[in-house]
Amino acid sequence: MPVKNFVLDARLTPPVLRARLAAGPDGRQRLLAPGVGMFRGAPDPGMLVGPEQPIGALEILGVVHHVLAPAGAGGLVVAPEEAPRGPAPARRPVGFDDLLLTLDPSATRSESAANATGPVAGAGASGAAVLRAPTSGRFYVRSGPGKPAFVKAGDVLEAGQTVGLIEVMKTFSRVLYGGDTLPSRARVVRVCQADESDVAQGDPLLEVEPADAAVDQNTKPHPA
Amino acid sequence: MSAKTRGTPAVPMFRRLMVANRGEVAVRIARACDLLGITPVFATSTADRDAGYLRGRETVCIGAARSPQSYLNMQAIVQAARQSECTALHPGWGFLSENPVFAALCETHGVTFIGPPARAMHLMGKKTPAKAAMRAAGLALIPGSDGILDSAEQAREVADRVGYPVLLKAESGGGGRGMRIARGPDEVAGAYADAQAEAIAAFGDGRLYLERLIEGGRHVEIQIMADRYGHVVHLGERDCTVQRNHQKLLEESPSPSLSAEEREKTLTAAVRAAASIGYVGAGTMEFLLDQGTLRFMEMNTRLQVEHSVSEVRSGRDLVVEQIRVAAGHPLSFGQADVVLTGHAIECRINAEDPANNFKPAPGKIVRWHSPTGDGVRVDTHVDSGYEVPPHYDSLLCKVITAGATRDEAAERMIVALGELVCEGVPTTVPLHLKILRSSAFRTNHYDTRAIPGL
Repeated sequence: MPVKNFVLDARLTPPVLRARLAAGPDGRQRLLAPGVGMFRGAPDPGMLVGPEQPIGALEILGVVHHVLAPAGAGGLVVAPEEAPRGPAPARRPVGFDDLLLTLDPSATRSESAANATGPVAGAGASGAAVLRAPTSGRFYVRSGPGKPAFVKAGDVLEAGQTVGLIEVMKTFSRVLYGGDTLPSRARVVRVCQADESDVAQGDPLLEVEPADAAVDQNTKPHPA
Repeated sequence: MSAKTRGTPAVPMFRRLMVANRGEVAVRIARACDLLGITPVFATSTADRDAGYLRGRETVCIGAARSPQSYLNMQAIVQAARQSECTALHPGWGFLSENPVFAALCETHGVTFIGPPARAMHLMGKKTPAKAAMRAAGLALIPGSDGILDSAEQAREVADRVGYPVLLKAESGGGGRGMRIARGPDEVAGAYADAQAEAIAAFGDGRLYLERLIEGGRHVEIQIMADRYGHVVHLGERDCTVQRNHQKLLEESPSPSLSAEEREKTLTAAVRAAASIGYVGAGTMEFLLDQGTLRFMEMNTRLQVEHSVSEVRSGRDLVVEQIRVAAGHPLSFGQADVVLTGHAIECRINAEDPANNFKPAPGKIVRWHSPTGDGVRVDTHVDSGYEVPPHYDSLLCKVITAGATRDEAAERMIVALGELVCEGVPTTVPLHLKILRSSAFRTNHYDTRAIPGL
């Protein structure tokens, strides 16, 4: 029998937000509000919370968003240090980054340890030269959405070539390849920053190696 | 103020007001709130929440440092206003101040948006319908495209018709962003792409229109104030010719280049035009003074950075008046009560390095001292120890001086800028001093093509 009058009720698929994870004192984890709104339904102290588990609901302009614990979060819910007097409010206003829950991960140590480690790239460790950000700002690897990246790994750069854009206070400026410590012709080993990432002055943008060395290697099989 | 309004006002006033902006304008709005006995609540990003100007104030953190996640995040701001029990919201300038969708969202959730009605904002905020409305009200216009351009090819056709050079401008633009000049047919496509990219980045709207570029004119604008009962007044004009990359550096009032007849004629027409579109609140009509004729360019449906110049000359507080008008009060003064005296000059001090091609210079201000003295007003959010974040614009402070004559105001400005101390980040003060001391500025021999004194 065909399904008739099928209605997709938005209440069945509420929008989901993930809390922000921050380190607290004594190895505890602080779960912070991902937005502004009225928060309710936090788990009681002593309950176990793991990644992607619900920790409450945030109502933003009348729309209820389910709030989940982010990846890497896990532990027992810790009672707030200053317990409010009287009955707890049904819901409370929170701002962005306000504390929602404190977790003690020691109860689930073995689980969270696997999530906590990640690869740490040794920028410049392989002896490659590094082009650094000339100023703090937002780094763009392409001239616009849908445009090709200025450079990618393997490209050969010459001094003066554009490698990206940096936006500072809404002003865009080009990042040009060059510098005293860098080879004048270089091959890109790695682009260190993702598109639209915030960089501080001196942060690595590109790892490069001298291009002439690479050319030598290519020509070696053909000795004169 | 009469006894009647001091007791129980016929129209109530807001008790709590959300300041949906940051920096200098947030401080400016809060000062007006303090005068009216309103509690301001600041919407703030994570980059600003520890700034000195928010110390001792109520704040709601609305999002991460980048403006799309905080100061441009409409839902977060309106929710913040709701949960902090604000019944009104002042958008300041920039960010969402000219966004009719945001104004409508505020009204939907019972928060009074302090600005013109969404309809007037939509009409005037989009530049091309604004030009049509102003043409109907009898103002002179700059020749250009009749509306939005569909493509770079169409831009080329219109440019060929009106004559080069032409200026491509963002439909939702403001503050000099999203504008590019094309001097010949070959440059149109490149200028179109660049202006569009910048407009999308700054305003989220890539639509462009085109005007013939009038080179060598003067930039003059008229301050309008209107209430919801049809009363419209002007507070004189301001001359904002001194600009760098379409960013105003120095504004003054009255314009030293405008003839008395043209001033009178255009001020009257501007008031009539504002009344004809049902405008409410503070607004500015921008003109280009082209060989003695003021040609309408665009209307800004918001408070402007340089509103303080008109405040100094008229002795009226435009932000207080904006809030009163939004609460339903009639204007507290009529046109006959607006007495414009003397001359006022404003310098915008930015955290930019004049020695390094005006590169924006975020950083920590180790020591700050604001100038003081007779006829000197300083609007700023900066104090010693303030850290200028890299995410927003570079305005640190506005210095406004008043004098009986233009020369007196300029001399006072030179003294005031000499007194200003800002250690830690470079500022545009040396540039302003160079302008103020130049004979081109003092004898009024300059136009939009070049900065006097450079």
